[in-house]
Amino acid sequence: MWVSSKPSSLDSSALSFRSFISPVQIPNSNPSISNSRPSSSSINCSLKELRGRIESVKNTQKITEAMKLVAAAKVRRAQEAVVNARPFSETLVEVLYSINEQLQVEDVDVPLTSVRPVKKVALVVVTGDRGLCGGFNNMILKKAEARIRELKTLGLEYVVISVGKKGNSYFSRRPYIPVDKFLDGSNLPTAKEAQAIADDVFSLFVSEEVDKVELLYTKFVSLVKSDPVIHTLLPLSPKGEICDINGVCVDAAEDEFFRLTTKEGKLTVERDVVRAETIDFSPILQFEQDPVQILDALLPLYLNSQILRALQESLASELAARMTAMGNATDNAVELKKNLSQVYNRRRQAKITGEILEIVAGADALV
Amino acid sequence: MTLNLCVLTPNRIVWDSEVKEIILSTNSGQIGVLPNHAPIATSVDIGILRIRLNDQWLTMALMGGFARIGNNEITVLVNDAEKSGDIDPQEAQQTLEIAEAALRKAEGKRQTIEANLALRRARTRVEAINAIS
Repeated sequence: MWVSSKPSSLDSSALSFRSFISPVQIPNSNPSISNSRPSSSSINCSLKELRGRIESVKNTQKITEAMKLVAAAKVRRAQEAVVNARPFSETLVEVLYSINEQLQVEDVDVPLTSVRPVKKVALVVVTGDRGLCGGFNNMILKKAEARIRELKTLGLEYVVISVGKKGNSYFSRRPYIPVDKFLDGSNLPTAKEAQAIADDVFSLFVSEEVDKVELLYTKFVSLVKSDPVIHTLLPLSPKGEICDINGVCVDAAEDEFFRLTTKEGKLTVERDVVRAETIDFSPILQFEQDPVQILDALLPLYLNSQILRALQESLASELAARMTAMGNATDNAVELKKNLSQVYNRRRQAKITGEILEIVAGADALV
Repeated sequence: MTLNLCVLTPNRIVWDSEVKEIILSTNSGQIGVLPNHAPIATSVDIGILRIRLNDQWLTMALMGGFARIGNNEITVLVNDAEKSGDIDPQEAQQTLEIAEAALRKAEGKRQTIEANLALRRARTRVEAINAIS
């Protein structure tokens, strides 16, 4: 009997030491010794255990709730970053568009636009830095794996450029996947990080080590939906259009951005498609340099802003995924806590009833 | 006539106000822009941009991009821009030394391209600081 009761009390103490501090526990434990030991001690112990579990669920709920709120606040910041990037991308698209108009007649040859027969493909995989965001990281890594298999069946070589800590640890655990570079993401993507990726991609492509660069990132659709997508980064087609893997052209003049608003006290997302205006561009514009040189200067900028956009979208998706995941976790914790306290209260009441019955029976016996 | 300068980078607007004159480093050399300049489009090299506000000259390090001038509006689109006051001289000097060392060690076409770019960026930042003094 003693042997059986000892480990159980140790267990409960390991679960929570609060049960020792709580004053309710002390009067409860006294009658249990005088009663038949095995049954009461098992009840007592599970009561303690229950209390410990309720406590830990409560703590977990607090953490998940806080994480959800933090993620929500960060989504707002991510959205601001996208809005800040808009003047640049708008002007860029406008300029690129009008210069292309003037270059239509000429046969331009820019390194970044040269379409070569593809032998090797570079995959830029953008993941998050942290976990606890549902299937976000898994989804993009699965997409990358699928793409790698596809390339293998096509008999093409590939190399991965991994962005983000989760992707880095994933690929470093798989040495059979050739990785060119591990880059760290950050809390807020800046032009510098986009530049680092762009530099890498640029030198890989220009030195003809790879013939195609694809960007795998998570597109932000709404707070509850995000899609892992593949986006061909290089070669750029001379029209300034980017085609995705299905050959569908994403027009450069179409600028999408998302907006977080509050509607009836709930967060909602609006996604706007803004047609970039291409007016009031002086027709007597002179080119200081060769048009080719100007395109040469513009296209890296375009590349950079594309990468930055992808990083921002990926971050927004990660935060949205974390918000949903943590929201669900909080809901589960609430339910679990409710069930546990119900069981706890029921047991406590049963025990008290039993004790009262015993006391009454004892008093009866005395009379 | 007033001349308006707007310097944009992918994540923010660095400069958007009236200026008297600017000197811009383009791929084909420096050009000065005064009000009522002819409309031109030019690529911008990794180099410094000098801005005149009345009698005061300001310097900015530009990391390559594109500029459009017309209608007394100058729009400069660059990868990154830093005002000389925002650059830490020591850090810039260190980065320059690291970049120089990297270029010496560079092997192969690809590493040389990367090292050259890094060196030019680092050099520009140091130049931007020294231009003031």
